[in-house]
Amino acid sequence: MAMPYSFKSALQSLCREKWINILSIFTVASSLLIVTLTVFFLYNVELVTSHLPERFSMMIYLKDNLPREDTQNVINMLQKRADVSKVRYISKSDALKELKQTLKDTNYILEGLDDNPLASSIELRLKKDFVTGATAARIAEEVKKIPGIDSVFYGEKIAEAIHLLKRSVENISLIIFLTISLGVIFVTYSTVKILFYRKNEEIEILKLLGATGSFIRMPFLIEGGIIGLMGGALGIVGAFIFYIAVTYRLSMVIPVLKTLVFPLEILIALPVIGIILGIIGSAIAIGRLRL
Amino acid sequence: MIAFQNVSKYYDLHTVLRNINITIQKGEMAFLTGPSGAGKSTLLRLMYMAELADEGNIIIEDLDLASLKMSRIPFLRRSIGVVFQDFKLIKNLNVFNNVALALRIRGVVEREARNLTSEALKKVNLRHLADSYPQSLSGGEQQRVAIARAIVADPLVILADEPTGNLDPGTALDIIKLFRDLNLQGTTVLIATHNRELFRGTGKRVFKLDGGTLSGEEVG
Ligand SMILES: Nc1ncnc2c1ncn2[C@@H]1O[C@H](COP(=O)(O)OP(=O)(O)OP(=O)(O)O)[C@@H](O)[C@H]1O
Ligand SMILES: [Mg+2]
Repeated sequence: MAMPYSFKSALQSLCREKWINILSIFTVASSLLIVTLTVFFLYNVELVTSHLPERFSMMIYLKDNLPREDTQNVINMLQKRADVSKVRYISKSDALKELKQTLKDTNYILEGLDDNPLASSIELRLKKDFVTGATAARIAEEVKKIPGIDSVFYGEKIAEAIHLLKRSVENISLIIFLTISLGVIFVTYSTVKILFYRKNEEIEILKLLGATGSFIRMPFLIEGGIIGLMGGALGIVGAFIFYIAVTYRLSMVIPVLKTLVFPLEILIALPVIGIILGIIGSAIAIGRLRL
Repeated sequence: MIAFQNVSKYYDLHTVLRNINITIQKGEMAFLTGPSGAGKSTLLRLMYMAELADEGNIIIEDLDLASLKMSRIPFLRRSIGVVFQDFKLIKNLNVFNNVALALRIRGVVEREARNLTSEALKKVNLRHLADSYPQSLSGGEQQRVAIARAIVADPLVILADEPTGNLDPGTALDIIKLFRDLNLQGTTVLIATHNRELFRGTGKRVFKLDGGTLSGEEVG
């Protein structure tokens, strides 16, 4: 395979058809910039919401005067579950202490109670992935069946909301990413298609001289890859300007923006995404060659 | 070896070649002649599969074209050096790169490709035009570029379609001598021409084509 030749041929073509190529590089760059902003948005929403499930807990109240072994049994059974991340036992007296602490100055309310009216309970934390309305409900239902358990309380609405928020942010980002990717593929597709038609005569000659399909394709694939690469590089410049604008300029005016995190790794990914999409676009543009 | 076995070619209802039988031995040099429109170019085009025969079979070296897989066509074409009647030079490449292209297609390493290209250009007296582009060349110069490209990779078979049509008689004879030298080194050569001067006195076989049929064979 004459690699250097294909490269030279691709570069020549890039120079010869300057304007078409510059135009598509800019289009690819702005598309990739949108991808960057989407990732930036998704990343920050992820960051904020990723801790939400950890705060979600399920309260399990034990039957009154449950013997010690039975209580231990319940705790063991809960700990064994794959969907549970943390089990905390709160005895009657602990519960009272907590209540007294919460009430602080007004804890005289509790005076005169000779008997502790509170129940022993267990606080259950679920693993992140199980914090959805449906799974929380199923877990509650299963837990209720364990002997010794009186009742289970949890915030169904909160579980569902957390889940829904995460899902929709993920889905919207995915849709944006796919749409833009298709757009980038289409841009390189049309550019390479135009170049391919313009070079039709040359390609026919190459075929007659005995060139293989890959020999003919290679310069076009390289050209598509370079368009993607340059678009990605230009996208980095755009993203960097955005980054500086948000973290330095805007955050002075709107302090909340200071908490935003800009994942710099995506900058490295941009040219790579560009190259891959560019090559896919040109591969589709060339299609099947008839020798 | 080149062998045509009962080959026919039609364009719609128009018969361009009818029942052609020719055998040219490996290492032989032969001519194909006949008036304009007789089917000479078509006969050559069948050999490098720019067209497919409608009937019969063609054998080039040890390749049977009727049963040749599509993926083997580049391989067939790389064993043949063709001088096209309309040259088929690439206008975006200079003379040197037009000729070197034949080697690059064959995957010859760059250094060797450069040396062989220089040699081939020398043989057709075009070294001084290596950096020129085809559209700035005269017809005869373009024709010699096409010849250099056909011979540069030292193919097993050379097919030359009217290779001296744009050349003065002196240069034309130089080109025929070039083909004869290559033939002496073992290359099979078939030259299509209506210029009888080219084969007169060569002692080579001449196939006469007329209206798509082989009308005879003589010795030049
Ligand atoms: N693609 C085609 N479609 C239809 N007819 C064709 C096609 N190519 C060639 N022909 C016809 O086939 C016949 C033979 O053409 P060909 O080019 O082989 O002649 P030739 O002997 O090479 O002539 P010349 O000496 O002028 O080059 C002509 O009548 C031509 O009109
Ligand atoms: Mg002809």
